[in-house]
Amino acid sequence: MAEREATTVIKIPITLDIPIGPQHPAIHEPVMLKIYADGEEVVHAEVNTGYNHRGVEKLMEKNSFYKDKFLSSRVCGICNTVHENCYTRAVEYLAGLEPSPRAKYIRVLAMELERIHSHMIINAIMAEVIGFDTLFMYIMRDRELVMKAKEILTGNRVEAEIHMFGGVRRDIDDVKKDKIMDILKKLEPRLKYYRKLFEEDPTINSRLAEIGILKPETVLGYSLLGPILRGSGIKSDVRAEDKYDAYGEIPWTVITRPEGDSLARMLVRWDEALESLEICKYILEHLPQGPAVVDERKLPRVFPPGESYARVEAPRGELVYYINSVGGANPYRVKIRTPSAVNIINSAFSYVGHSIADVPVILVSYDPCISCMERAIVLDLKNNVEKRVPLKYIAQKKVRL
Amino acid sequence: MSIIKEVIKNFFSKPSTIEYPRKAEIPVEKDFRGEFYADLKKCTGCTLCALECPAKAIEMKKLPENIKLKHNPRGLYPVVNYMTCVYCYRCVRVCPVDAFITTPNYKLSSVKEVYSEEKTLKTLGMG
Repeated sequence: MAEREATTVIKIPITLDIPIGPQHPAIHEPVMLKIYADGEEVVHAEVNTGYNHRGVEKLMEKNSFYKDKFLSSRVCGICNTVHENCYTRAVEYLAGLEPSPRAKYIRVLAMELERIHSHMIINAIMAEVIGFDTLFMYIMRDRELVMKAKEILTGNRVEAEIHMFGGVRRDIDDVKKDKIMDILKKLEPRLKYYRKLFEEDPTINSRLAEIGILKPETVLGYSLLGPILRGSGIKSDVRAEDKYDAYGEIPWTVITRPEGDSLARMLVRWDEALESLEICKYILEHLPQGPAVVDERKLPRVFPPGESYARVEAPRGELVYYINSVGGANPYRVKIRTPSAVNIINSAFSYVGHSIADVPVILVSYDPCISCMERAIVLDLKNNVEKRVPLKYIAQKKVRL
Repeated sequence: MSIIKEVIKNFFSKPSTIEYPRKAEIPVEKDFRGEFYADLKKCTGCTLCALECPAKAIEMKKLPENIKLKHNPRGLYPVVNYMTCVYCYRCVRVCPVDAFITTPNYKLSSVKEVYSEEKTLKTLGMG
């Protein structure tokens, strides 16, 4: 039986495998995204984590409740105040301590200032990633105003350390109040300008609009949190649901947008920053009188046995602390669930189907040389002609072999 | 046309970068959490600050032989390692006699480890 002479050879290169991270300068977390691409299109994405495991939860078991307060605020640099708020409230529930109304207002003020600067930094990085370096620098310059306000309130630009069980560690006087108010008045037009820019600029719009659309049922199915949830039109915010600290007394609204694309998520962040600004102004005008600072020397040394659970709306979503105590000076177990853990690990599905340039945040700045190996090469041996076609066209039988 | 205006404006304006730390000073608040050290006139050597420090930056040292203090019978005083310190001010707040002196000085970067020993001993006015 004579062999049939081959007329066509199909060389199928392996799917392009692009590792992004674990130490990429533009990404915020040391996380590794493994992107498998067929041509320009992402067909599969894997998220590898664990590069920044510091064993904070184990360290908390070994240290006292008071030392853990300072450890908890060092879990994350940008959202340190919400971490310490969540931990402090969990311990307060355990010990039956109640902060004064003035302390509650000061806590909310610190957390809202943090939300403004956190949303500004992520929008600045988004601007940088899409190639808008000047906008990045402008936003970062104006973010310094918020950092100054935080310095006036807490004593440091970044690490607030303003919470203590049963109150706060620093009070605010009229001079500081006026200084923060002046800064907020300077900041408001800038925030409105950036929000308008993100909404109207054609370059930003063409890069962000209709990219990474998440339907409400998908977002709920994958338990994504925070501005992702609200950017897909789901009205969910721990501040509104739990009304912890002074959020029940302050008038504010939950921001949602129905679109569900990248642009909607960024605009939700700008709107939330503006809403936080209004909350800060309200607090400075309506700060209740009374004691706020707690004397750390008179707090209990040991805490009663029991369990407690607190959650807080961090700038990135819902943050949860669970504390188990068997009595004594140290906690038996502290469990932290950060919003980024859920958002990053569960979001691998959302890259599939987009082009590599659309893989959010860092892939835009990533410049892979994929053009040479992205396609299947069809060699027509008779005519000695090479045709380059994407693999999926062969699978869909769009190419005549 | 606005870009030409910007170019001309920037051609004559000063550079927007600042020469830190040679020429520029960055103002901070008076109660910024900066450098701090113990006041030997008040310190009783109770060691509470060293026990409570979350960063283990405070070490209790023996006072020099020639210094004898009535209110400090054990002859101990805290020495802060500024390179390890996280400036949470837990020691300042738990001190039963308010013995810590706080300053807004944040310029503490150095190639060597910096301790509060000298500043603390100077508080007695003996040099």
